[in-house]
Amino acid sequence: MINYIAAAIIMAAAVIGVGFGMCFATSKAIDASARQPEAASKIQTILLLGCALAESTAIYAFVVSLILATAK
Amino acid sequence: MQTKTVIEAAVGAVVFAACLVGFLFMKGKLKETETPDKKLAKRKKLFFIGMIIGAWFMGGVLLTAFSGMKPGGLHINFEMFSPRVTLPFGNLTLAKTTVTAVIVTALLVILLALFRLICVPKFTDGEPKGMQNAAEIAVEFMDGFVEKATEGNFISLLSPFMLCMALFMAGCAFSELVGARAPTSDLTCTLALGLCTFTLINVCGIRKNGIGGRLKNMGGAMPAMRPVMIPLKAVSDIAVPVSLGCRLFGNMLGGLMVMDLLKGVLGGYASGLPAIAGLYFNLFHPGIQIYIFITLSLTFINEALEMPETT
Repeated sequence: MINYIAAAIIMAAAVIGVGFGMCFATSKAIDASARQPEAASKIQTILLLGCALAESTAIYAFVVSLILATAK
Repeated sequence: MQTKTVIEAAVGAVVFAACLVGFLFMKGKLKETETPDKKLAKRKKLFFIGMIIGAWFMGGVLLTAFSGMKPGGLHINFEMFSPRVTLPFGNLTLAKTTVTAVIVTALLVILLALFRLICVPKFTDGEPKGMQNAAEIAVEFMDGFVEKATEGNFISLLSPFMLCMALFMAGCAFSELVGARAPTSDLTCTLALGLCTFTLINVCGIRKNGIGGRLKNMGGAMPAMRPVMIPLKAVSDIAVPVSLGCRLFGNMLGGLMVMDLLKGVLGGYASGLPAIAGLYFNLFHPGIQIYIFITLSLTFINEALEMPETT
């Protein structure tokens, strides 16, 4: 039982943090590409890379919580 | 069969039949009139939607009755690692995802061999057409992508390799469409892909700068700090395949779980609706993940190619 509670807390904390992080990165990218539309494609690549790196923390939390939830 | 099931199925059938009659009637009426009537066209569309809803409801009721799948039950039998099958010879067991991966690889090899035997001899130097266009677009896109990422180093090595990886991952993602568990939602497969990248990072780094150059690259610009920095960098290099593998695994497993939950919630009514969700979770999401995997691999490789300016 305690495993499920731990998994839920891990997932919630990770998702809150990563949600804020990705939203911050996206808003900055929109600012940048509105200021310099000719650099939009470069900014998009960097944004995707940064979002993937930020997302990976949530993915690690997901994997850890899965291990906790399926542990026997 | 209970009377409730019969009544529900009958309601679905009646709705379907009534809407079919209305739809055909409206279609006939629309043909008679010369100018297209907007009101009639709207009614025809409404009847069509009603027809689909009736058929969906009836199918759901019948499927629930005959297969015993109850809607609303979260009875997914989820396992972190895929179930294993015993081979017909010996006592070997294999994960089901490994079998799927072998089948996917075999299909890809057969398809590409057929492409080589049938399409490639027809290629001309003049104006390209048909399959030649597709092949040229794929190869040129990948070459340009690699050239931009690694600043023109090792294009002839990296471009085919990355294209091959992308094809394999796409094939694995599409194997989910026929009901198999995708091989990329197994940690062993994704870690193997990550190890491929890890090998490439070191091979490219050593071939470009030599072993001493690779150590210099790991140690950073300051010679005095190198004995400290090289072990630290080695640890962070070993983390690269783990992070790449876990990222792909987690994303694929997340998509798989969402689809499983959706099917569990809908039960017998799970016809049509999961296909719409599958457009995102089986098509778009793996595509994004493939792009990210390849971009990150090339970024790490490019990092290993750089030669620090010694002061």
